[in-house]
Amino acid sequence: MNAKIMNRSELIYHIIAIVTLAIIIFLFWNFSTDKPHVEGEITSDLAVDDTSSLIDRYLYRMIPILCGAGLFSIVIALYLEEWLTQTTWQYRIIERYIVILAKVPSLVYGIFAVYFIVFHSQKVLNYPLLLIAILLVMPVTIRSTQKAIQSVDISVREAAYALGATKLRMIADNVLPNAFPLIVAGICTAISRILAIVALIVIISNWINSSNIFTIPKSAVVLISSAVIASIFSSILDYKQVT
Amino acid sequence: MKPVIEVSDLKVFYEDTQALNGISLDVYPNEILGIIGPAQSGKTTLLKVINRTLEFTQGTSLEGTVKLDGVDINSISDVHGLRKRIGMVLPLPVGLPLSIYDNVAFAPRTSGLRNKSELDEIVERCLQQAALWDEVKDRLDSLGTKLSGGQQQRLTIARALSHKPEILCLDEFSIAVDPITTMRIEDVLKTLKEEMTILLVTNLVQQAKRLANRTAFMLNGDLIEIDETDVIFSDNPTSQSTYDYVNGNFG
Ligand SMILES: Nc1ncnc2c1ncn2[C@@H]1O[C@H](COP(=O)(O)OP(=O)(O)OP(=O)(O)O)[C@@H](O)[C@H]1O
Ligand SMILES: [Mg+2]
Repeated sequence: MNAKIMNRSELIYHIIAIVTLAIIIFLFWNFSTDKPHVEGEITSDLAVDDTSSLIDRYLYRMIPILCGAGLFSIVIALYLEEWLTQTTWQYRIIERYIVILAKVPSLVYGIFAVYFIVFHSQKVLNYPLLLIAILLVMPVTIRSTQKAIQSVDISVREAAYALGATKLRMIADNVLPNAFPLIVAGICTAISRILAIVALIVIISNWINSSNIFTIPKSAVVLISSAVIASIFSSILDYKQVT
Repeated sequence: MKPVIEVSDLKVFYEDTQALNGISLDVYPNEILGIIGPAQSGKTTLLKVINRTLEFTQGTSLEGTVKLDGVDINSISDVHGLRKRIGMVLPLPVGLPLSIYDNVAFAPRTSGLRNKSELDEIVERCLQQAALWDEVKDRLDSLGTKLSGGQQQRLTIARALSHKPEILCLDEFSIAVDPITTMRIEDVLKTLKEEMTILLVTNLVQQAKRLANRTAFMLNGDLIEIDETDVIFSDNPTSQSTYDYVNGNFG
């Protein structure tokens, strides 16, 4: 990223965004812990040896959500960059949120994920899954798509327009081909995050369900290595885009 | 003769700096109008007004009118159609991220041409006109952005020719091109003049002298003088600053 000095209005947008986000998370937290938590409800359906059912249940359900969210975020990024242009205040506020969400370390999502999936696993599955997928995937992919769109030189746009291209045509022929590696990189990053989180869930449920907390289940190893591979792939794509 | 472009009292503002202070000029069919002037004189701005790409710069406003064949260009609703009638070559080559072939076929395709053999024909004709065909005919499928600077610039010229514009605007096209290729392109422009009107913005005063039928001299947003090239380059143009600029003792 190019180093820009943050001016005062940008700082204010940042602060507003952080405060509102904090309030939302706080309310959310309160709302979820208000429910009486019955001891006996701690489930054992994430038993270590039941890896296939775990993957069935969580990962496979997450993948369509992930893809949908990825595609949707491309649409949002295009809308932001091409129609809501950078000078409007709506753009700036939305951008702050996206930047902040994209920067949240996956550990934070991991806590959400563990909290909802491990401890509330029986009832609330789809809802936190959806939430986590959205929080996890969309900011990253929106951000990367935005950057990719911005990296298309203004003169390339002008050249395309000067040849009589319409906006959609310009986007399809000039913006998207340029943006493609970065979009894929963003989706890979998101996938790697989500795999890491599922690995975390597997490990924690292993702690809960077994007496020996030092064993790391095989499925967790598989998940973590796929996460590493996905993130390496994404950084390669990123690197290729930069050079 | 009826002018193709009539610019009258054109003023352009970028936010609060004024780039053009009320310019009036006519451009006649099948002529090469050279536009010379030092940096910041508003030459590029004038071209951008004419093909309405100024709209992409935020915070600009303009007064006065520009007419194309008697129609005010700002009242034309089909901007894309307008831009197809006015080809534009920018100072530095801007390769679209497409193959050489697709770069040239871009404009015809946007107007709906899909016929492969017709496209082939256009691509070959335009590349030949831009003096690039011989160098790239064996690798039309490789990326346009991988050509050398001078080749890319000729590619942008080929691209600008591909939709047979009525008016061709060239903005300092020779910056990235070596002198020999510049000469070749200049020869091309001389023949193209039969088919279209050419607006040639140039930093090379001698280029205007070689090519232009008439030459306009601009300075700090004002049109100082527009006249037959012979007059501008003679020993007694109307304005002293024209004489100074043309003879290189400016400033
Ligand atoms: N995008 C912009 N934003 C603000 N001011 C601009 C912009 N583009 C041009 N200007 C101003 O408009 C005036 C004319 O610029 P223009 O680019 O038309 O000059 P030019 O004659 O083409 O110069 P050059 O020979 O350097 O290309 C200059 O004072 C310049 O500072
Ligand atoms: Mg210029």
